[in-house]
Amino acid sequence: MRPRSAAPAAPARASGFPVADDSRMSPTLHGALRALASLRLTLAILVALAAGIVVSYNSEVRTTWSLVVPLALFAVNLAAAVATNAVFRRQSALLVFHLALIAIVLLVAAGRLTYLKGQLELGEGETFSGELKEYEAGPLHRLRLGELAFVNEGFRIEYAKGVRRGHTWNNVAWRDAGGRWQRAVIGDQDPLVLKGYRFYTSHNKGFAPTFLWIPDSGAQPVLGAIHLPSYPIHEYSQALEWEPPGSGLTLWTGLQIDEVILDPEKPSEFRLPRVHRLVVRYGENRSEMQAGDRIKLPGGTLEYQGLRSWMGYTVFYDWTLPWLFAACALAVGSLGVHFWRKFAAKPWDA
Amino acid sequence: MELELRILWAAIVTYVLGGSLAIFGVVLKKRPERAVLALVTLGLLLHTASLGVRWERLGHGPFITLFEILSSNLWSLTLAFVLAYWRIPQIRPAAAVLMPILFVMMGWLMLSHPGEGHFPPTYRTPWLYIHIGFGKVFLGAVLVAVGISGVVLLRSAGIGVEKFARLPDNARLDELSFRLMAVGLIFETLMLVAGAIWAQDAWGRYWAWDPLETWAFLTWLALAFALHARITFKTRPQTGAVMIIVVFVLAFLTFFGVPFISTSPHKGAI
Repeated sequence: MRPRSAAPAAPARASGFPVADDSRMSPTLHGALRALASLRLTLAILVALAAGIVVSYNSEVRTTWSLVVPLALFAVNLAAAVATNAVFRRQSALLVFHLALIAIVLLVAAGRLTYLKGQLELGEGETFSGELKEYEAGPLHRLRLGELAFVNEGFRIEYAKGVRRGHTWNNVAWRDAGGRWQRAVIGDQDPLVLKGYRFYTSHNKGFAPTFLWIPDSGAQPVLGAIHLPSYPIHEYSQALEWEPPGSGLTLWTGLQIDEVILDPEKPSEFRLPRVHRLVVRYGENRSEMQAGDRIKLPGGTLEYQGLRSWMGYTVFYDWTLPWLFAACALAVGSLGVHFWRKFAAKPWDA
Repeated sequence: MELELRILWAAIVTYVLGGSLAIFGVVLKKRPERAVLALVTLGLLLHTASLGVRWERLGHGPFITLFEILSSNLWSLTLAFVLAYWRIPQIRPAAAVLMPILFVMMGWLMLSHPGEGHFPPTYRTPWLYIHIGFGKVFLGAVLVAVGISGVVLLRSAGIGVEKFARLPDNARLDELSFRLMAVGLIFETLMLVAGAIWAQDAWGRYWAWDPLETWAFLTWLALAFALHARITFKTRPQTGAVMIIVVFVLAFLTFFGVPFISTSPHKGAI
């Protein structure tokens, strides 16, 4: 809060609070700073920011200018006030609060320029190699995901009655800087943090039939898995069209499960089906496969190796997070100290 | 569920008795203050027992359904009322303005379905209690400020001038109400910060302008505006009172409206 002071006013001022005496400053600059530091401008900016939020919130396309402009003005207004308002020389807690507010605005801006948010999927036993399924990032983000690696070592998810997802326990492993393997259990709220990137499990997960594609050309066989649509959201559409690497073939693959995995009548856990049938269709040809079965296709042989699970992760990077927390703590603490001193100095009913 | 609802009904009846006594005390210019304090405190104890029984039965606190959120906020707002009534005797007649707000919440609570909701995994964090605790202090401080502001506006309109004559003058009430708003600003800021920390690990982002975050921030802006405007324009107590009521209305809608019309993940029940 920026109080007006009861102290005698400085000779030249129009903005409503005492101005720090700085005879070295040119009158024009001084006047401009006073105008920028005005409390009335602060009020106008608060209104503009509220309006900007409402505009942005109601826009079909997310607009940022309606937030960026008032926030930039807010930072300028605060900085000018700190530079010119003599009240801040006397009230250190108030000064710290306003400096912390400036820091918050600048950190939020820096965070938006350098953040990353994305999604990825990993089958059980698969190593993350830096590729994201989709992502958005600030224009100044330097993508370093290729330097990171971790392995999805399988997960457990508990479900409450009514198929309501509960806690997720996902075992992951990675090599530390010294090359030693490290292990941890992560979840929706317990991220794996590697070089500032925070990997969280998500609601997105499902079944992953694993295949070996053996080309007739004698080239190296390729092992891979296809990620069927998320389960149980897409329980009744566990099918996918895909192409074995380099084959040019389009295969339709469907998973048929003849048992209840997640019982709506009682608590349960996500698990692989005990019995399942995997249907692979190529043109008019239809094959039902069990683990170990092979089918001959034009250009190669497809071997079904079994069913695994896959987990969807969200990844978030924002180096400003600890600094933002520190600035917020400083802002709230100094505001508390300021009000405490102010209110302790004079009873409300005096 | 029967037991907790019976205790809740007993609490509501006791609140209504205490609140009505406070209102009649002002209207009839009597001072049954000890009885009011005793009855509302007894109601608060019964209400605590009801919340405790439900908590024990469900294995989680009252944070999910509209019924639970209304009940827990009625509890915290009544606690704020009791503390103000006990510690600031000069403003006790403001109970005549404040209690009707709580009566409305009581009516709404009794009309809400007391069924249980799913406690999502994102709620299994200490930040839930920190975030909600700060929010309750914020709303409690603003509620007491609203009670005082109501007196200022009623007296200015020539209503109940005699009945509220025992209260300090409007300038002093204005000062007290804005001190409460300052407390509210600190605790709303803490609520937003704690919420952002929680959101970071609950949804992988600390802020996403979802409806609840947006309206909570708009409330924060309105509160900051009210405090700044009072300093900048040296507003009259009546103007200050109107600004406080606007902030309360925004906060009330944010707490009890947005979570139940929003489809975003950040809501009362997810």
